[in-house]
Amino acid sequence: MIYFSQLINQNVWDGFGSVVGKLEDILIDATEKKMPPIAALSLKNNPAGIKYIPANQIASLWPSITLRVGVDRIRPYSPTGHELPLLDRVLDQQIVDTEGKRLVRVNDLQLARSRDQFVLTGVDVSGSGLLRRLGLEKFGRTIGSMFKKSQETVVIPWEFVASIEHDDPLRLSVSQNKLVKMPPADIAAIVDELDHHTTTALLEGFDNEALADTLEESSADLQMAILSHMTPERAADILEEMDPDEAADLLADMPDGTSETLLGLMEKEEALDVRTLLTYPEDTAGGIMTTEFANVPENITVREAIDYLRNSEEAQEDEVMYYVHILDQAERLNGIITLRDLVMADPERSLDQWKEPDVISVEPLTPQNEVAYLIAKYDLLSIPVIDPENNRMLGIVTVDDAIDVVLPTAWKKRLPRLF
Amino acid sequence: MKKIRIPGWLKRVGLYLAVLGPGLITASADNDAPGIATYSMAGSTYGYQFLSIILIVTIGEVVIQEMAARMGVVTGKGTADLIRERFGVKITAFAMLALLLANLGTTVAQFAGIAASAELFGISRYIAAPVAAIVVSLAVLRGSYKYIEKILLILSLSAISYVITVILIRPPWEEVLRATLVPQFELEPNFIIAVLATIGTTITPWGIFYLQASVADKGLAVSDYKYTRLDVTFGATWGNIISAFIVISTAATLFVHGIAVESAEQAAMVLEPLAGSWAKILFSAGLLGASLLAVAVLPLSTTYAVCEAFGFERGLNRKFNEAPVFYFMYIGIIAISVLIVLIPGIPLFPIMWLSQTLNAVLLPVLLVLVLKLTNNDQLMGDWKNKRFQNILAVGLTVFISLVTLALLVTSLMGMSPIF
Repeated sequence: MIYFSQLINQNVWDGFGSVVGKLEDILIDATEKKMPPIAALSLKNNPAGIKYIPANQIASLWPSITLRVGVDRIRPYSPTGHELPLLDRVLDQQIVDTEGKRLVRVNDLQLARSRDQFVLTGVDVSGSGLLRRLGLEKFGRTIGSMFKKSQETVVIPWEFVASIEHDDPLRLSVSQNKLVKMPPADIAAIVDELDHHTTTALLEGFDNEALADTLEESSADLQMAILSHMTPERAADILEEMDPDEAADLLADMPDGTSETLLGLMEKEEALDVRTLLTYPEDTAGGIMTTEFANVPENITVREAIDYLRNSEEAQEDEVMYYVHILDQAERLNGIITLRDLVMADPERSLDQWKEPDVISVEPLTPQNEVAYLIAKYDLLSIPVIDPENNRMLGIVTVDDAIDVVLPTAWKKRLPRLF
Repeated sequence: MKKIRIPGWLKRVGLYLAVLGPGLITASADNDAPGIATYSMAGSTYGYQFLSIILIVTIGEVVIQEMAARMGVVTGKGTADLIRERFGVKITAFAMLALLLANLGTTVAQFAGIAASAELFGISRYIAAPVAAIVVSLAVLRGSYKYIEKILLILSLSAISYVITVILIRPPWEEVLRATLVPQFELEPNFIIAVLATIGTTITPWGIFYLQASVADKGLAVSDYKYTRLDVTFGATWGNIISAFIVISTAATLFVHGIAVESAEQAAMVLEPLAGSWAKILFSAGLLGASLLAVAVLPLSTTYAVCEAFGFERGLNRKFNEAPVFYFMYIGIIAISVLIVLIPGIPLFPIMWLSQTLNAVLLPVLLVLVLKLTNNDQLMGDWKNKRFQNILAVGLTVFISLVTLALLVTSLMGMSPIF
């Protein structure tokens, strides 16, 4: 294996054994995703003023950098704009390891010969990479053997790496494609550690739905920061995509003027849901409930119920759909049937035979603690919220939102470095 | 692209920043335990003539802090990140070692402050320092630090009592003014140590890292930078006005009677015109509050900076075995600091200003890097240093280096057996 740090600043020799200069940087061909080949070497201290040497004139890189031809026959390389300079843009930068789903710093880069060309194989993010840069690799090995631990070199294959440099739109979009495939909670954790400029640039390329999912998992500070860097129209679109309870939490943290503007830009129906949620205190059932829940009318058969659900927008939007709620004409809760029972039941029988009529429910102003307690006590997956005045069903609190009392999702990622 | 722009909202942000932004908070940290100790020692030993040093240091602090804040706004990144990305591993390792040493010294000083204030109440330092270390680090690690933060902030506000004291004792203002504007230096090791300690406690490596990080974390737009600059300038000036009042009050009450402060007991006497027999309590409450606050913040932000630079896993939301370096370093800084304070017979008050001398000696390392970064076209673009900023900052760096050299020379010549 050849390490980039061992090559940099080394003499470059021509085919006749005379020094043509020192290696300043290596350009790789960024259009190749898996194992990008070296496109050119960048030289310094060359008396003839040659800057780039094309890769096909390299004879070897290790143990010494030697060219195939004499200094007078070097045909300089002219960059096409698709190269990535490793020293300038990759080494020492932060990148996302999409396999390990974490933010890492590039300590070194691994190169290899593959048939007739040299390629970049991976990124060294380990402590031994750091020691190599410090010229302390042997020292590290000695210490390692003292503790009976072999110093592992952790190399992430280049194809699993997403660069997050924000001044290069082309490469950023490649990274976005890799990132979007990660679970939203992992993206949120990474984005929480990044600086604001990078975050904004990175998330710009996400579609509204992916962005909404990521935001739901992010800390309140980050949600605000990201939305405040967007046009109000896009911010409103993203709020529509988010679960109404999450959107309401976010809007509740904003200054009144801003939240009003955004609500005004949202679709009427979504905005109404969010407005209702905003009227309840944050630590009550009303504050943590979601207004999108699967429901069916009473007096229908199991088959009709399933068909109804398939076409119901509310069922589509239900975060989890553990239970199906049976509502009467006045939207009063008549009973609950679990999705399991609904699927297992005889399609032609009436729904009423399977429903659980005595449902544990809460009121919008029931404290969050009490909600969590009831959900835990009765082993529920969600609990209906009923308006005490007219018995209308308003929404459900799901188990994950209820246990936030015990285990908050928006963990403060960083202690305020505050005095 | 159009941004979300609600006039009232932005105005409020601007106002908030101007009133209590990161700059003001950072500058308030000038008057932490080592700060109070240093200014009390300097004022009581050298009288009003020391005010001219405060004036020079104020200008230096404004220039340096402004550079740090500007880097934070323009790049959105922390100081450690930039050093690593621009200068590579070797220089980063050197800079981080300097930071770690300086902050370790300052943490020792904070524990000395805790021990000194406890001893004023007759509580042994062998109880106070370990208990404080355990309580604070548990609070920080469990994330419940926010709750105690406010109490501590109020305690540390007692620095204002120096201002009231000065108003009560009516110092000879004419003499005060003359001493401020006419610099006087003595080529004598103890005076040089006092100068270095004043520089080191006002313009701290930690302050630079902290300010840049908190400005970057806020994710401000470059167009709003003028508010930050105002905040930084105002904060630094205000912090140093308080420092000047400590010098004036100690000069007016102790220096005139030939008492050079060597202990917390003597330092507390300054507040007697204001608080009478309560002076001791007022003084130790202020000292304790400031020290506890710093102990909660300083080791953690140091650990974050170092881990960020080297790409180690970090953060309080990680488990111990996920981020071993982070936790070991955090606990290590606190443990070593407590142990040093517990060395039998170690003089608590002198530790506080000697640690700040160390800060000043290490500061040029960081200043050179900050200067290179703020002059980098690629990084700062239109926001790179102006000529006068460079002149002032280079002047300060040279000044500190010369003073350090003077300290070495005078100590070697045996003018005073301090080293």
